[in-house]
Amino acid sequence: MNGWTGHILRVNLTTKTFKVESFTEEFAHKWIGGRGFAAKILFDELAPGVDPLGPDNKFIVAVGPIAGIPAPNTGKAVVAAKSPSTGGYGDGNLGTRIAEHLRKCGYDALIVEGRADRPTMLLLEEDKVEFLPADEVWGKGTYETNDWIYAKYGKGVGVLNIGQGGENMVRYAVVRSLEGRAGGRTGMGAVMGSKRLKAIVAKGSKPIPQADPAAMKKIGYDDLRKVQQLDKESGWSIQSTNGVLAWCNEVAALPVRNFRKTHHPDAWKVDGERLNNARIATYGCPNCTMRCGITIHDTAGRESELDYENVGLLGPNLEIFDLKQIGTLNYLCDDYGIDTMSGGCVLSFYADAVDHGAVPGDIKFGDAEGFEKLLTAIALRQGPVGNLLAEGSLRAARAIGKGTEAYAMQVKGLEVAAYNCKFIPGMALAFGVSPIGAHHKESWVITFEIKQTSRDSYGPEKAQKVIELQRIRGGLFEYIVSCRFPWIEVGWGLENYPKYFNAVSGLNWTLDDFWTVSDRIYSLIKLFWLREYPQTDRKLDYPPAVWFDPTNVDTEGPIAGRHLEYDKYDGLLQHYYDLRGYDRRGIPTLATLERLGLSAEAAAARKYGSLT
Amino acid sequence: MKVTVKLIGPFVNQLGWSERETDVAPPATVEGLIAAVGIDKARPKIVTRNGRAVAPGEEVQDGDRVVISPIYSGG
Repeated sequence: MNGWTGHILRVNLTTKTFKVESFTEEFAHKWIGGRGFAAKILFDELAPGVDPLGPDNKFIVAVGPIAGIPAPNTGKAVVAAKSPSTGGYGDGNLGTRIAEHLRKCGYDALIVEGRADRPTMLLLEEDKVEFLPADEVWGKGTYETNDWIYAKYGKGVGVLNIGQGGENMVRYAVVRSLEGRAGGRTGMGAVMGSKRLKAIVAKGSKPIPQADPAAMKKIGYDDLRKVQQLDKESGWSIQSTNGVLAWCNEVAALPVRNFRKTHHPDAWKVDGERLNNARIATYGCPNCTMRCGITIHDTAGRESELDYENVGLLGPNLEIFDLKQIGTLNYLCDDYGIDTMSGGCVLSFYADAVDHGAVPGDIKFGDAEGFEKLLTAIALRQGPVGNLLAEGSLRAARAIGKGTEAYAMQVKGLEVAAYNCKFIPGMALAFGVSPIGAHHKESWVITFEIKQTSRDSYGPEKAQKVIELQRIRGGLFEYIVSCRFPWIEVGWGLENYPKYFNAVSGLNWTLDDFWTVSDRIYSLIKLFWLREYPQTDRKLDYPPAVWFDPTNVDTEGPIAGRHLEYDKYDGLLQHYYDLRGYDRRGIPTLATLERLGLSAEAAAARKYGSLT
Repeated sequence: MKVTVKLIGPFVNQLGWSERETDVAPPATVEGLIAAVGIDKARPKIVTRNGRAVAPGEEVQDGDRVVISPIYSGG
């Protein structure tokens, strides 16, 4: 089967056994890889109601048909499981050499089951799996763990590992790789930790099955050079993703003080210009020619890699306007293996709760050292506050009560990314209907919305654009598993991706063929949520309440006095459901499921929740 | 009249400055202002005037803040 190895490796940590399973061409064409494989496996194999942090949850690593093949930005893998932060489907992607080595070991996906009896490192080689003790690095951070692995196997191997955050099952712990990459902010690091799985190492050298390897090699290397040239011409990677911070500040979309404010006069101190000026090195993922990882020295002189999301949420969101201080918070998150976005939102939630007198405490916005101590307490689950905040903002708010749920900036339990949608309805919708909780990777509609629509419109054009972007960003790039940056940031044409896919698979797909796959995966993930939350309703797709709060409006600036309106948002949500073929609860209708080839999955889901 | 122009991202490196107050003879359009500061008309961009997106033909007023940014697509 060209384009796929045709094999999935299933590992059981409880029994220390493994087996290699084959999948059919039909399965490959229907789900492609990455998020598609992960969603299908988790839907089929997880019993509804399973404890995300128990041995019955399954941890998936899945790659796509172009993974590991030299072509623009193909060095990525998807990690997935039932999410400890949301209780629904969870995944994330990260740059890692696992993408290449998993395939060169002969697999397109890895399923990890059970729970080890001691800290364990999985070593995958061709036709061989070893369950090695990892006691030596249990309790250590991701940097030290990574060094320990490199010392054993060299820097060329594929590595996924966790820090103390994952070990202690912080519900927003991530998986780390390549010292600077992180993925799976839906708590995938906590799932690894719950299985006492400290690290996965893969090293393989098998050829990746391709229909026309010579053609793919030529296309791939030519296109790597072209993307590099596009980046050079555009200058995008000079400021990288943090270039957008100054723009967000200008258009009142920056999270400031737990999203209470949308802009700040000191934001320039942490913008892309300042980050570029402070740069000490630049890092990227495998097969990347537009590297986005800018490192600076933090307050302790350590190298800390920053991008917009972590600057926005660990900086202005906490009223910190010093890059070195942000660098320190970011370093701690990275070393502990905690998501910087959720970490920033949880810290700002707590500071807001203290500020409003809902909980006693002395943390204040702007107190960088205080936030450092809190992060450590969270990662190590030290004391009642550390333990509480390790649960995430929604669970913490429900435990505290006193109306603090209003301060939790989250959707479905996952904290929002760094776009303050106080008056940006389309982007608020994108957060609301993201299939994993509030995340920006699915549909970043904000520039379209501000440039090409009226900001106060709740019309179907915004719902349509959200769907279009979901099909590409949350669909194509998540199951073919490739970084979206060449397309979104430097104008690399989408038509190149079917070109790569066809070169490796020997098929003749067009972009339209992919959109059906995208819709199928989104609908399947909706069924996963339905099984977990049978009484689900459209309120699950609402963004945070603070954006609707008339007492929380800006008092000056471009959106002074403006806020989202519930009835209008609900209408926008209905446009989205109508265009998607979902019912009023936001669940795909039977007709939609049948059209997408999901009749068997619909029958399975009906045992737990109704379909219309 | 005086208009403040703020550049974002690579435009800063391209033009060598980040923000400046510019004297503009009225009437002046956003399009004219962009040409005057030296940004290629064909380059994709998003322009805001006092925080709100503007069309190229829209006139600028004394005291305006005009921000010229590439079209970011999110991290």
